[in-house]
Amino acid sequence: MTLLGEFALWISLPVAAWGVILGYAGGRTQRGDLVLSAERSIYAVFGLLILASLGVGAAFLGDKFEYWYIASYSNRNLELFYKVTGLWAGQRGSLLFWALLLGLFSSICVFTNRNKNREFMPYVAGVLQTILLFFIVVLLFADVNPFERLDFVPADGQGLNPQLQNYWMTIHPPTLYLGFTSFTIPFAFAVAALLNGRLDARWIQLTRRWILTSWLFLSVGIVFGMRWAYEELGWGGYWFWDPVENASLLPWLTATAFLHSIQIQENRGMLKVWNMSLVLMTFLLTIFATFLTRSGLIESVHSFAQELKIAYIFLSFMGATLAACVVLILYRLPQLRTENQIESFLSRESAFLFNNLLLLGAAFSVMWGTMFPLISEGITGQQISVGPPFFEKVNFPIGLVLLALVGIGPVIAWRRATKRNLQKNFATPVAVGLFTGVALWILGARHELALVTWSISAFVLTVIFTEFWKGTKARARIEGEGHVLAFFHLITRNRRRWGGYMVHIGFVMMCIAFAGAAYNTDSRFNVQPGDVVEVASPFGHTYQLTYEGLSMTLNRGQRNLLWQAIATVSVAQDGDPKGILTTEKRQYTNRNTQPMTEVGIRSIVQEDLYLILSALNDPAGAVRADPDAQGIDLQVLIKPLVGWIWLGCLMLAIGTIIALWPSVDRTRVATEAPKSEPATAGAG
Amino acid sequence: MTLYLGVALVAAAVVLFILQPVVRGLHASLEREDDELTETEARKRVALLALRDVEYDFLSGKLDEDDYRSLKAELTAEALAALEADEAAKAGRRVPAGARQMVATTGGADDDGVAGAASDTPPGGAGAEEALEAEIARMRGALRGSGVCPSCAYSNEEGSRFCSACGHALADTVTA
Repeated sequence: MTLLGEFALWISLPVAAWGVILGYAGGRTQRGDLVLSAERSIYAVFGLLILASLGVGAAFLGDKFEYWYIASYSNRNLELFYKVTGLWAGQRGSLLFWALLLGLFSSICVFTNRNKNREFMPYVAGVLQTILLFFIVVLLFADVNPFERLDFVPADGQGLNPQLQNYWMTIHPPTLYLGFTSFTIPFAFAVAALLNGRLDARWIQLTRRWILTSWLFLSVGIVFGMRWAYEELGWGGYWFWDPVENASLLPWLTATAFLHSIQIQENRGMLKVWNMSLVLMTFLLTIFATFLTRSGLIESVHSFAQELKIAYIFLSFMGATLAACVVLILYRLPQLRTENQIESFLSRESAFLFNNLLLLGAAFSVMWGTMFPLISEGITGQQISVGPPFFEKVNFPIGLVLLALVGIGPVIAWRRATKRNLQKNFATPVAVGLFTGVALWILGARHELALVTWSISAFVLTVIFTEFWKGTKARARIEGEGHVLAFFHLITRNRRRWGGYMVHIGFVMMCIAFAGAAYNTDSRFNVQPGDVVEVASPFGHTYQLTYEGLSMTLNRGQRNLLWQAIATVSVAQDGDPKGILTTEKRQYTNRNTQPMTEVGIRSIVQEDLYLILSALNDPAGAVRADPDAQGIDLQVLIKPLVGWIWLGCLMLAIGTIIALWPSVDRTRVATEAPKSEPATAGAG
Repeated sequence: MTLYLGVALVAAAVVLFILQPVVRGLHASLEREDDELTETEARKRVALLALRDVEYDFLSGKLDEDDYRSLKAELTAEALAALEADEAAKAGRRVPAGARQMVATTGGADDDGVAGAASDTPPGGAGAEEALEAEIARMRGALRGSGVCPSCAYSNEEGSRFCSACGHALADTVTA
């Protein structure tokens, strides 16, 4: 099976190349037979990639350590679950997995469009196949072939990095990859539009659902990564502005900008060049993110590989794509002229435009901060890392203005809003926001940034809930429905609009939670069994934590564990027993790693209690199960509002699914036909 | 041996599958569908939907009366231009010989339409304005049929009796 997979990968190379040539040739000559052949080649490549992936899977399950990839990421003792997910545990498998997902989405795209949108499909097939070809070339020729064999057969593999042996880590990369790869479809349609000259908003309408799907996977994938960091890395944080975290944030920022700016093109026929640029930028950033994650170019907790050949191949591909798209956009510039102009600074268009500028500003700063260590190394020979303070200083203000815009958008009219009406519509929400700020201040909250965030959040939520309330009330009155039913119908009858609002509510919930980090507490204690420590929560209550003792398990055999020290802590809140929490140190047999920490988390609505076994007083004694060696360093963190990040993400996901559910806005039609009015700068 | 047989089978199947269209002359369609709106039709529709949007913004208190009136005058002018362009395009399709000239005329009217918008007077004289009103009424009827609210332009499910965005009655207007 593994050998068959290896051959399948080789066969896919000429098939993909054939598809590239026939796709473009078919589009150019308008020959349906060539196009059909190109489309079929996409299905064929997908099938071959399935065979290749099954080959890798079979090698994992069969413990075939003669393959470098299996020997490096698995061993006999590894749990079955991690063997099955081994395909994306390391760089080589991940790249194959990327190609596989791209093959899947390409096939879905070709299949769903087999009878429609035919004028786009030759070039769409050509573009998709080009990107597939690129990944196949990388897999076969960039020293990252997952089927590469060793000269000898090791008795056992090195096993999986213990940090990756976590539930979230098995679903975080695939989710992100789903987001990255599905964005290729809108990109392919954009390029097809540039090639066939159909430059109205049609390509946007056709790919709106793909864009939303991709955005959903990206958002959820990023949050899964945060959850993994929070649970597994044991520092108590969920975001560290790590290069690879940033790399996944970059396409999210530009995709978010794109989601908003396409609405201006649909409604007003503006920003055509801008949208083309955003889709190109987002696509390149998804490739860039893959490249950064999987090339080890920048050292970070995610980068487990150190190869440079692949870096050159990736950079050349990105450079060539960028150059080709810029040339195409310049060539089509006359047809990409804007049909309208922004009429007033006070209008929804300008709010959207401002939102775009802020998102791009954030993306640029994140890009700069991420690349700075490399640039500084290139120039001065020394890596200077900018660290979280830089990112926070730049992105917090941008985030706050974006947050405020979420509230301003719904109330401001298209074209030009009237000041007096704005004042009228904003009076209540602004009052609620100010009241929230003052009330929290009176209650003892003193952190300015957090207070500002919460006030703006209250303002935004008031605006959105007012919109929901007005709609529900009107519907309940006219239809004579109960308010619950009216609310439900309100959402289902215009999913795009109300789903969007729900996404915004989710975003606000997450912002509220992020601001909660201003009130994190961090206390460290050295405790012996029976010791009780008290920790006060910012919400006023106090935790009494009793250290019950340490239990040691040796050589359990499972999960490659050498030993596992489990500290048990009884938790009481204001004297009320609330059960026990455990936190662990684990020493894995393989990879000579430092002992890993498993944290204990107790979540309630307002906060998480987060226990870290930071050190054993006497590790050697503890391993011998010496009763006098039970002392530990216990770190107790209180993380206010953290749970709301996950809830906010859930809300955001539900909203997005509502917005992209089929039968949304079938009748919405976008601007067409270039007008003969003088064009303003297309990118404006 | 089995392996090579398997590989050969896979390769043969792939080659047959992708070469068949070229060898046997199977063609995929490359035509744009007929049921899609033409460019001028779409533009006309957008102009009319923009009119509805402005009405919704006005009704929901986001625009005041003065702005609403001037915006409406501008949009009416735009809609008129779009309407003329669409009619010209249709005429052009019917009479190919005169098409070029008709389109050229439309281009002029288009520019005037935009320029006229600034002075708040829709161009084209009383007759054209009547035609526009008739077209708007017709579009409203069409929009109703497709579930788009005539009052606020929001797309409701087909068969809805009331608009989910503004509560405007949809059902009774179908017969109107």
